[in-house]
Amino acid sequence: MALEMMMSGPDYMRDPRKHQFSPYANNGGTSVAIAGDDFVMIASDTRLSRGFNIFSREQDKVFPLTPKTMMASSGCWADVLTLNKVLQARLTMYSHEHHDMMSTTAVAQLLSTMLYWRRFFPYYVSNILAGIDEEGKGVVYHYDPVGHMEKLTFSATGESVSQIQPLLDNQIGGLNMLGVKPPTMTKDLARQLIHDAFVSAAERDINTGDGIIIHTITKDGKTEETVKLRRD
Amino acid sequence: MSILNYNGGCVVAMKGKNCVAIACDLRFGVQSQTITTDFERVFELGPQLYIGLPGLATDTQTVYQRLQFRIKMYEMREGRRMKPQTLMAMAQNLLYERRFGPYFVEPVIAGLHPSTKEPYICALDLIGCPCEPADFVVSGTCSESLYGMCETTWREDMEPEDLFECISQSLVNAFDRDALSGWGAVVHIIEHDKVTTRYLKCRQD
Amino acid sequence: MFLTRSEYDRGVNTFSPEGRLFQVEYAIEAIKLGSTAIGIQTSEGVVLAVEKRITSPLMIPSTIEKIVEIDSHIGCAVSGLVADSRTLVDHARVECANHWFVYNENMKVESVAQAVSNLAIRFGDSDDDGPAMSRPFGVAMLFAGLDKSGTQLYHMDPSGTFLEFGAKAIGSGSEGAQQSLQESYHKSMTLQEALKIALTVLKQVMEEKVSGSNVEVAAVTPEKGFHRYPQDEVEAIISGL
Repeated sequence: MALEMMMSGPDYMRDPRKHQFSPYANNGGTSVAIAGDDFVMIASDTRLSRGFNIFSREQDKVFPLTPKTMMASSGCWADVLTLNKVLQARLTMYSHEHHDMMSTTAVAQLLSTMLYWRRFFPYYVSNILAGIDEEGKGVVYHYDPVGHMEKLTFSATGESVSQIQPLLDNQIGGLNMLGVKPPTMTKDLARQLIHDAFVSAAERDINTGDGIIIHTITKDGKTEETVKLRRD
Repeated sequence: MSILNYNGGCVVAMKGKNCVAIACDLRFGVQSQTITTDFERVFELGPQLYIGLPGLATDTQTVYQRLQFRIKMYEMREGRRMKPQTLMAMAQNLLYERRFGPYFVEPVIAGLHPSTKEPYICALDLIGCPCEPADFVVSGTCSESLYGMCETTWREDMEPEDLFECISQSLVNAFDRDALSGWGAVVHIIEHDKVTTRYLKCRQD
Repeated sequence: MFLTRSEYDRGVNTFSPEGRLFQVEYAIEAIKLGSTAIGIQTSEGVVLAVEKRITSPLMIPSTIEKIVEIDSHIGCAVSGLVADSRTLVDHARVECANHWFVYNENMKVESVAQAVSNLAIRFGDSDDDGPAMSRPFGVAMLFAGLDKSGTQLYHMDPSGTFLEFGAKAIGSGSEGAQQSLQESYHKSMTLQEALKIALTVLKQVMEEKVSGSNVEVAAVTPEKGFHRYPQDEVEAIISGL
């Protein structure tokens, strides 16, 4: 009787029910960037996933910003796309207002500022920005989702960051190796390290795999290369 | 955060050519506060038999003592050394006895067969599910970083010295990116005729 | 002529049938009442020099400030209704600071002029951006600065028009001063020469005798950015004229 009352009675008689909307999704993705004296390489895996589902096996997560800068983003794919669209618009507005292409350092600061503007409803995105600076040298900027920015010469971010970052610390940063000088970065070495790092990550992380797209930026322009990874 | 990560710490073991290696960090902390930096979590259970017990420190000690007791009973009754495979079965049994109120440790076993000197490594989860791969096993708070390092640095049939370099670099670089482990490391290289134990110098933060 | 004006010079945004905005033109006239200000651009830096009108011996000359710093790389000289310039200068400073905050780089001089111009022509109607000035700003400005493209000198008048100059004079003595500048300016000028010329021209057009206390001199150079010349240095230059 009581149950019947509850089922059929007015809504204020029914059990309280909680509805919830979760605004974020985790779509995986891993990115790595390595800078050299006259180039910078930025790569990301090509898997787009959510949980155990694979949405795409060929989604490049590196976006061109200016002829000298690119950004790799992963995390919530909807936020990645929105952030990029807004950033793209800001770049266009800048070039109209100031009759000039934005420098890599300016893009780097702009990205940080834009992320911080959303301090209390952040873009759920891990970013790395890679570019050629005013002196023609390669630079890498690493971000957290609310705009903390760090200028580096190499960095990893995204789902498999914990697998890849220690390897780069050791192999590029020369950490924990007594009497060993960190290597001078060449395109071949950077490519090899990126490949090895992603192969290891794909081996152990289900959200990373399928392939890598490696973008190289030099003063002469950009090139890209695709490498296959395991697809399971 | 899981109680498994309460005190921090990690263990890694690797197979080499006729040898195995097992290593751990030395930090004992309470969440982000470091208490001591000489807390070894790898224990000798026989001449060529070691176990690492990363996880909740109190359970590290309890499980170690209970295993020691069982091994002593086994070796007295049987009159022979325990095989690493047997230790695995014993640890598995001990852990599964507490299926619904487990010890919060995820053991790693490394050793050589007492007679054949066959290398053996394995890892167990906190209720005793084993994993016996051919290359390496990792456990503890920076297991993801350890996987990344080991996956790239490990090679088949390494000599003891190479194995030492490989396991040390993997461990130290992995725990340098983990706030809950580090503060020194100890490495045991187990060969058929000797065990070499080395303490590593590393960054203290 | 007078009749036509009286009908169309009331509303600040009302064109006369001849296509003129009288209030803007009157504002430009107001500049001609202001004290003379001179800017000279050289490859070594940009010089700004202004006349200070000391109307009473009881006045403290150092409180007259007609050259202001916009940012460490941009200075600005004003002539006309100096009180009006405060609003514009404030705006320029905010824009520069904001540009640095967002892009971590110095704002270009042209962009500063553009930003100030945007405010200068926002008179008349209030809109979404808040209340606006009811009349045009009665002030002309010289922006001297240094950016990616080198040393720059921009002039902006009350109509919001801004143009780049090698050398420019504004204010009451501007006609004669501009003529003198045209005669003496050349591209390969040094900063010292520019300083000398600026003060020589001021000396020519000023009613009072030029001295260390009735002129204000500043420069923007790659080494020191925006900096003012102290009175004794100004006096030294004057004595060498």
